Amino acid sequence: MSPMKLCVPGERLCSTEDCIPGTGTYLRHGYIFASLAGYVLRKNEGEELPVISVVRETETQLLPDVGAIVTCKVTSINPRFAKVHILYVGSTPLKDRFRGTIRREDVRATEKDKVETHKSFRPGDIVLAKVISLGDVQSNYLLTTAENELGVVVAHSEAGAQMVPISWCEMQCPRTHAKEFRKVARVQPEYLQA
Amino acid sequence: MAGLELLSDQGYRLDGRKATELRKVQARTSVFAQADGSAYLEQGNTKALAVVYGPHETRGSRSKSLHDRAVINCQFSMATFSTAERKRRPHGDRKSSEMSLHLKQTFEAAVLTELYPRSQIDIYVKILQADGGNYSACVNAATLALVDAGIPMRDYVCACTAGFVEDTPLADLCHAEESGGGTSLALALLPRSGNIALLQMDARLHQDHLDALIEAAMTACKGLSKVLDDVVRQHLEEVSVLTRD
Repeated sequence: MSPMKLCVPGERLCSTEDCIPGTGTYLRHGYIFASLAGYVLRKNEGEELPVISVVRETETQLLPDVGAIVTCKVTSINPRFAKVHILYVGSTPLKDRFRGTIRREDVRATEKDKVETHKSFRPGDIVLAKVISLGDVQSNYLLTTAENELGVVVAHSEAGAQMVPISWCEMQCPRTHAKEFRKVARVQPEYLQA
Repeated sequence: MAGLELLSDQGYRLDGRKATELRKVQARTSVFAQADGSAYLEQGNTKALAVVYGPHETRGSRSKSLHDRAVINCQFSMATFSTAERKRRPHGDRKSSEMSLHLKQTFEAAVLTELYPRSQIDIYVKILQADGGNYSACVNAATLALVDAGIPMRDYVCACTAGFVEDTPLADLCHAEESGGGTSLALALLPRSGNIALLQMDARLHQDHLDALIEAAMTACKGLSKVLDDVVRQHLEEVSVLTRD
C-alpha cells in the first residue's frame, strides 16, 4: 500500500477548486486546511471533485445527529415518557452514554393518545429509535419509535428469560409462556438468526 | 537592581542563553491511556502535564451547555512541590482561576467548537515544576493533548514569554527573569496564520518598545511550533508503524 501523507492541524491541503472538504478539514479563504493530526484521504465520490478528508487511527467520539438510528437502553419509565441511555449510533459504540427521552406521543405512529408507556417499554429493554431533535438547553435528545422498524429488539421477561416477539405489540417468554406487551421492532428477516 | 544582571555585556543571560534563545523543549504525547488525550511537556525546567477529556455530554449543571457549540472547561493547578517553597493552595486561588480563564479563552479561539453542539471538552493542566513561563508551558502541553485526543483545531497554539532589558528583547523568560520586576509579556499564537489568541503583559513598558517585544515573542512562538510539529509527526509515525501490518 502506498504510504499515505501525514498532516497536522493547520496544514494547508489544497484549494477548494481541486477538492471538496470532508471530515477533519475546514475552509478558510478559499483553501482547505486540516483540523486533525492524521492521514490525508482523497476519495472520488463520483461527483465532479474528489472529497478530501483526514482520518485518525482511532475514531473520535461520534455524536448522535438528527435522523440517525440509535440503539438505546431504557432506564426508567413514567406515564408521560421513557428515559433511555443511548449506547450505539448506527453500528458505532459510544464511549460515553448520552441521555435520551422517548415521549408518549412518539412511541408509535397511530393512536398516539392511547399509548401506555408500561405496555410499550420496560426498564432494561434495548430499543432501536431515531433521533428527532437534539433538544433544547435543559432536555436530552428526543427520540421516536414511531415506525415499524423501530422499537424494542431485546427484552427480558419478569422470569428473567429473553423474550421472543409474537406481534408488533406482544412478546412471549419461552420459559413461562407468559405474554407481555411491548412496542416491538420489525427487524428485517435477514438480520434474524435462524 | 543589585547583584543579578539579566543580560551581561557579552550578551549572555543568567542561564547562559543568548537574548533570543529558547530553552530546551521536550515533549511526549499519549502519556495516559485512560484519558482521551494527554501530553507532558518540559520547557527548560518548567514541567507541565495536560490531560484532555471529550467531547462528551455536559456534566453537572445542564444550563452551562451552549446550543450551537461545545463548552471548553479548563482547570489549571500547580503541584504543591512545584515552587521553591511548598505551595499552600494548589488550586482555587485567584491566580489559578485567572490562569484557567486565560486557557479557556485561548483554546476557544483555536478549537472548532461548532462541530460539537451541547457538549463539553475538559482540559486539565498541572504544573509539576514551575520555573517561569507557566502559562506558556500549559498552552503548549494542552495543544499537544488536544491533537492527541483528535479534537479538530484550526492550528496549533504556541505560547511563549518575552521580556525587555536595556533595549533588548529577551525570549522565553525563566523564573528569575520574570520575578526581577521587569516587563513580562505572554503571547499565545496560531503560528500558520499569525493570529494572536491571547496577549498578556505585566509591569510597565514604553510604547515604542511594544512592537519589538511582540515581534520577539512571535518569532519564539514560531520556533516552538516547529518543535511541537516534530513531536506530533513522530508520534503519528510511531502509532502507524505499530498498527500497520
